[in-house]
Amino acid sequence: MTSLRHPLTWWIWSITLAIAVARANNPWLAAVIVGVAYLVVRTARDNAPWSRSFESAFKLGIFIVLVRTLFGVLIGTPIPGTIIVQLPVLPLPDWMAGIRVGGAITQERLFGTLHEGIIMASIVILFGAGASLTSPHRLLRVLPFAIYQFGLAITIATSLVPQFIASIARIREAQFLRGQKKSFKRTLIPLMEESLARSLDLAASMDSRGYGTHRIRSRYRAVTFDAIDLTITAFCLLAIISPYFSFAAVAAPLLFIGRKRIAAMA
Amino acid sequence: MITFSDVSLIYPNSTRTVLENLTLTIEEGELVLVIGPTGSGKSSLLRLINGLVPHHTGGILAGDISVDGISTQLVKPGGLAHIIGIVGQNPIHGFVTDTVEEELAFGMETLNIAPEIMRKRVEEILDLLSLAPLRNRSLSTLSGGEQQRVAIGSALVMHPKVLVLDEPTSALDPIAAEEVLSILHRLVHDLGLTVVIAEHKLERVIQFADRIVHIDGLGNARVGTPAQIMSDSDIAPPIVHLARALGMKEIALSVRDMRRLSEDLRNAQYLPHAAEEFEIGNQIISCAKLTLNYGEKEVLRNINLAFHEGEVIAIMGRNGAGKSSLLKTIVGLNTAHSGKVQIREINPATLSGGARRQTIGFIPQEPSDLLYGQSVLMECQQGDRDNEIASGTTFALLSELVPGISPHTHPRDLSEGQRLALALSVVLSAQPEILILDEPTRGLDYQAKSHLIATLLRCARVFKRTVILATHDVELVAELASRVIFLADGDLVADGATIDVLLSSPAFAPQVAKIMSPQPWLTVKDVVSAMESR
Repeated sequence: MTSLRHPLTWWIWSITLAIAVARANNPWLAAVIVGVAYLVVRTARDNAPWSRSFESAFKLGIFIVLVRTLFGVLIGTPIPGTIIVQLPVLPLPDWMAGIRVGGAITQERLFGTLHEGIIMASIVILFGAGASLTSPHRLLRVLPFAIYQFGLAITIATSLVPQFIASIARIREAQFLRGQKKSFKRTLIPLMEESLARSLDLAASMDSRGYGTHRIRSRYRAVTFDAIDLTITAFCLLAIISPYFSFAAVAAPLLFIGRKRIAAMA
Repeated sequence: MITFSDVSLIYPNSTRTVLENLTLTIEEGELVLVIGPTGSGKSSLLRLINGLVPHHTGGILAGDISVDGISTQLVKPGGLAHIIGIVGQNPIHGFVTDTVEEELAFGMETLNIAPEIMRKRVEEILDLLSLAPLRNRSLSTLSGGEQQRVAIGSALVMHPKVLVLDEPTSALDPIAAEEVLSILHRLVHDLGLTVVIAEHKLERVIQFADRIVHIDGLGNARVGTPAQIMSDSDIAPPIVHLARALGMKEIALSVRDMRRLSEDLRNAQYLPHAAEEFEIGNQIISCAKLTLNYGEKEVLRNINLAFHEGEVIAIMGRNGAGKSSLLKTIVGLNTAHSGKVQIREINPATLSGGARRQTIGFIPQEPSDLLYGQSVLMECQQGDRDNEIASGTTFALLSELVPGISPHTHPRDLSEGQRLALALSVVLSAQPEILILDEPTRGLDYQAKSHLIATLLRCARVFKRTVILATHDVELVAELASRVIFLADGDLVADGATIDVLLSSPAFAPQVAKIMSPQPWLTVKDVVSAMESR
């Protein structure tokens, strides 16, 4: 099953959800929205290499929560409340007054930082959901002519990411086979050289195939912004007006996908 | 169709002119081959045709180039997209979209061609290049030959008048290369397409060429028919070397013509060919019942092999047959699903640091992966330090392999052959017992290739090292290898002396063998020595 919705719809959808999460500022709501977004991604994504972005964003999200909580608990001004653990305070020089490392960890402080971490992570994960549903390349092709230079840059950047990961692995292997220890510099230099050469190649290829020469582009597989796209966008606007409508925005695509699924089964 | 009038090209910060006063007219429906040593400016010449040079790369251009009456000085490369299709050295670097069909449509979309016309043209191209079964495939999952066909397809779909290809067969196995070239040949003859190709492996393309442009890298260019250029060119395929060695007045460029000319030679009686004698040492590597999976896919199935000291083993097979996977398993990068690899009773995956350097030297497909120094000298000094050898040893080794490299050059600025030599000398400075090379001749010219052959032969014969290489280059295998292993789709299908394996498969036979069949000769040297011993 491919996501035949207009690429813009998916991006509007994921961005409004992110706005809703930020505005509602409620970790429980955020967790539920992420959960439902995952359901939508699971049903509507295709097999492009991009469609795994959700999982990567999710891992990044967990990392964000952990780091945010750790720093939030250890560093900062004390918040009074129920004490969970009493840590020793790290002595700091006088000029760093107001900053405290260690000390009492209260329940309020732990929950406060967890809350912030979850909201931040959810926003990142929702962007991952958008990327899972539409390849950036597909989005690029619906961008207007006026921002063609921007489109060129984005295409190059986005095609380089998967390539980057493959190259790092390859270069690491080669260095290991040369009997060298892992080193940032030894990976970075060949990687930078290769990436630069590749981006020039891609830019040359796009240029010689006429990218940006015509004001209007035709579409091989026309993707139209139809009534369903419009409905989803409308639900998304509702979610911006009041965050508690965000369930409507989350659920809207599910509704249409579900209907299609049932129709396909029947 | 294409006119170069008095064209000179020089890049900024360079003292060397790439082209000087080149005047050349390429007619409609001509297939022109551009030859020259690596780094001589073949790619620049090709990219001048649609204006990528100098619009995209910078450089000072004098004179004028016009294609179908349009001067490249007045329009940008994009403005010529409907006339010129260009396919780069690495097609995958030029792919903009994710799937085959989208990639074919990309260029037409940018030119705002109506959807109905696009669909029709995409279908035509899918049929013409036999890409229909691949239409929805993700581009990153295609094999090298398939990628090359998609790249050619996405150029042809714009109905260009000129098709420009930079080393279209360098990454392909002989069968895939043949497919691509015969498609080009057909397009030239059926549609009157004008084709310009740069290629190092002349044995693959020369019979299709109408004219040759020979550039020497010093600004000089010669233009002529293949017979004219080949009469005295230093860059020549084995078929020409054979004609020269046999003292033939007429130079034939296709196997068919050469067979006609050499009929008497072939039918004469010869003493049985004595295989070159050399000693094979102890067994050093053993693979037992090796099976390797990538996810669900089996890439190697039940491989049993043994390698000995002093052997030169070539691993051959089509793109995606499992050659690189086998090499990676032998060096210990891949963990076998079942079965095991042992190097002198040691599991190669456990080797690291100095012990690894002294056991296995590995040159990856991109030799530059190994290099990170800012100059040739720094790279060599690192090699000296790593192996605790006298300072300057590695550089001396490099100068022996390829004389005349300035120690202050940045590795990136070296030619392909020089870069390979640098990686090779860094690896050899540790004096490894086993030397493994993955596709070493990609982008190498004949001169660099003969240097490589001499070096590797010396490693095996004099120092008794085991040399293993994965390659598509049958001519290299014929000159170098003592034993050939043939893989097909993860299975070991042949393992034997080079002469037996290469002669048993017409597609993988070197040019001399095709000409001299049924005589068992693989190289010009074999033919000459057989003539002398008669």
